[in-house]
Amino acid sequence: MRKFAMAVTTALVMAGAGQVLAQGTVKIGAIYPLSGNAASAGQSSKAAIEMAVDIVNQDLLDLGDLAMAKGAGLTNMKGAKVEVVFADNQGTPAAGQSQALRLITEEKVAAIVGAYQSGITLTASAVAERYGIPFLTPESVATNLTERGFKWFFRATPITSDLAAAYIDFLKERRAAGKKIDSIAIVNENTEYGSSIAESLRKAFGANGFNVTMEIPYSANTSDVQPQVLQLKDKNPDLVIFVTYTSDAILYAKAMRSLNYRPTMMLADNAGFNDPAFVEQVGNLVEGVINRSAFAPGNPGTIPHRINEMFKAKTGRDLDDPSARAMMGMLVMCDAINRAGGTEPAKIQAALKATDLKVNQILTGYRGVKFDEKGQNILAFTLITQMHDGKYVPVWPAGQASAPVKDYVGWR
Amino acid sequence: MARFVLAVAIAIALVFPLVFSGAFYERVAALTLLYAIAASAWNLIGGYAGQVSVGHVVFFGCGAYGAAVAYSEWGLPPIAGLPLGVGAAVLLAALVGVPTLRLSGHYFTMATVALAELIRILVGNVPVLGAAVGLMGPAVPRSVWDLSFTSSLPYYYLFLAVLAGLLLFTWWMERSRMGFYLRAIKGSERAARSLGIPVGRYKLYALMLSAGFTAVAGALYLVMVGFVDPDSGVGILLSVKMLIMAALGGAGTLFGPLIGALILVPLEEISNSLLGGQGSGVTFVVYGGIILLIAVFQPGGILAMVAGWWRKS
Repeated sequence: MRKFAMAVTTALVMAGAGQVLAQGTVKIGAIYPLSGNAASAGQSSKAAIEMAVDIVNQDLLDLGDLAMAKGAGLTNMKGAKVEVVFADNQGTPAAGQSQALRLITEEKVAAIVGAYQSGITLTASAVAERYGIPFLTPESVATNLTERGFKWFFRATPITSDLAAAYIDFLKERRAAGKKIDSIAIVNENTEYGSSIAESLRKAFGANGFNVTMEIPYSANTSDVQPQVLQLKDKNPDLVIFVTYTSDAILYAKAMRSLNYRPTMMLADNAGFNDPAFVEQVGNLVEGVINRSAFAPGNPGTIPHRINEMFKAKTGRDLDDPSARAMMGMLVMCDAINRAGGTEPAKIQAALKATDLKVNQILTGYRGVKFDEKGQNILAFTLITQMHDGKYVPVWPAGQASAPVKDYVGWR
Repeated sequence: MARFVLAVAIAIALVFPLVFSGAFYERVAALTLLYAIAASAWNLIGGYAGQVSVGHVVFFGCGAYGAAVAYSEWGLPPIAGLPLGVGAAVLLAALVGVPTLRLSGHYFTMATVALAELIRILVGNVPVLGAAVGLMGPAVPRSVWDLSFTSSLPYYYLFLAVLAGLLLFTWWMERSRMGFYLRAIKGSERAARSLGIPVGRYKLYALMLSAGFTAVAGALYLVMVGFVDPDSGVGILLSVKMLIMAALGGAGTLFGPLIGALILVPLEEISNSLLGGQGSGVTFVVYGGIILLIAVFQPGGILAMVAGWWRKS
């Protein structure tokens, strides 16, 4: 009997100790493709999220107003530390779903961020919805994600319509500055990414007085893009927009050089033209190409520059667009948990709904973070960047620009 | 004795999830049975008839997309799309089987690989099938017929029932005329033909049956996971998984594919849970290593190994 009593006491003491420990840390799950096709992007996002956790847990004074930078840990929760539990979605919707379930039921995470690929975010967030655990996607853009009537789902990233809006505002300014933009060609790779961006650009442009006069869909697996470039050279539109993956983007840059074609104005939609491999190999052939990115390091002394330096010190790479969005998404989640003051799911959900981050608290090019009733960030936005001397620099909007817009040069 | 082992196995299968609980492990158990269904279906043509198909994911996709389309096009519960998926799979098997089953050995296998890739690219360009984006099932269950449960237990018992039905059918087929024909074909097509077996016809029957059951697995997959896109629905890796499970347990045996699934699925899910978060890819090293060990030391499959011990003792 005495033994039994002792065992019970020990168990109670240990349970109590567990409680104290649990108060000291808040677990957040992060589901990313750490293996499979998208592993390199997933690994980069993982590093970015780890850095976000460092920003939260340490008292960093050189990051200005950035959300969660000041004070060590979750300041409203007696400085509780954030612990992130990573899970590998292996690039499959079923694995993403299994891991979401494991994070919720085995790891008892307070909230989840992820999961990179839209299809996996879809299945993983469905589990979170059923269990009533907040799920925030920092990067998945498929429209249907926020159309499911979910109550526990939030999205911080800009979606296609936001990108089109940014392009249009930017082009209107260029037009007002005296540039002729009467004919526009869209060259897009013909799978999901390329076709959906091309379609939404065509619609949005048409509604805003910009005429898309030419559309050239092509297969990204191609080994020759000279026919497409010749088509462009023949019509010579005022603006050429490329929506490509990486290897085809490199082919375009080379083909334009060899066929001596310099468009008047050239815009590329992120992905291929933003890939570090592209910039390294052929960046000097597309001087002046306009691009978009949610993140640009900017000038020394700015917070994005400092963040980029920190990321570089950690990984040896520059912080890229999707990873920056992952980092921001994690900070948004930590900010909400901090304001919730506890880990009850309903409190975090309410805090997420009340999120109101200003532009100076953001490290990406958003105008802020504020969710609508569907969970979409209505202040999501993107920066416009331009290739200046083999490097992308932000040129728009004016507040975040570090250099003025210049004309397309191509190669020298 | 064998009957006793079987009875114990069935008893364990029935009460296992009630004893060994935890939402995640229940899900792993349900997934194990789902893949066991797919691998057992593959076994009909790949194991018994010895026609190794690496394109079976196409039939799996028929089921998954059939169920998805039932919801996306007509607003029906996904499971209502099961007959559509099975019908499409059987029809496709007939269309594809007639020319490809004339090929023997590796050439048949290569044709199935080509078919799978072709269909994957095709599906990625068909808007009704969600093109490259994919299709989702009902986001929030509308009625019990959507078979959308928070717990994995209902899936577990549903899959268990389907698997039992499939194994019963396979057991019956093994003993029927068709079973003998298929084994003869596997042994030597030429000898089988010279004995008067209608080789082409029976290979086709086996492929159609196999395709139909694989489509059932596909439809059940969609019901449980709720989303399908070209990679997850008709990506070739899934075909390989079916093949490996069957080969690991023992291709051409009744319980081989189930045993393969019992080992591989928990191994994959649990190793991913323990090691995947580090992002070092160790999961696949472990997974591949175990497959390699078995392939080298026991190419006949685990069932053959157990049978060997049995005989010795």
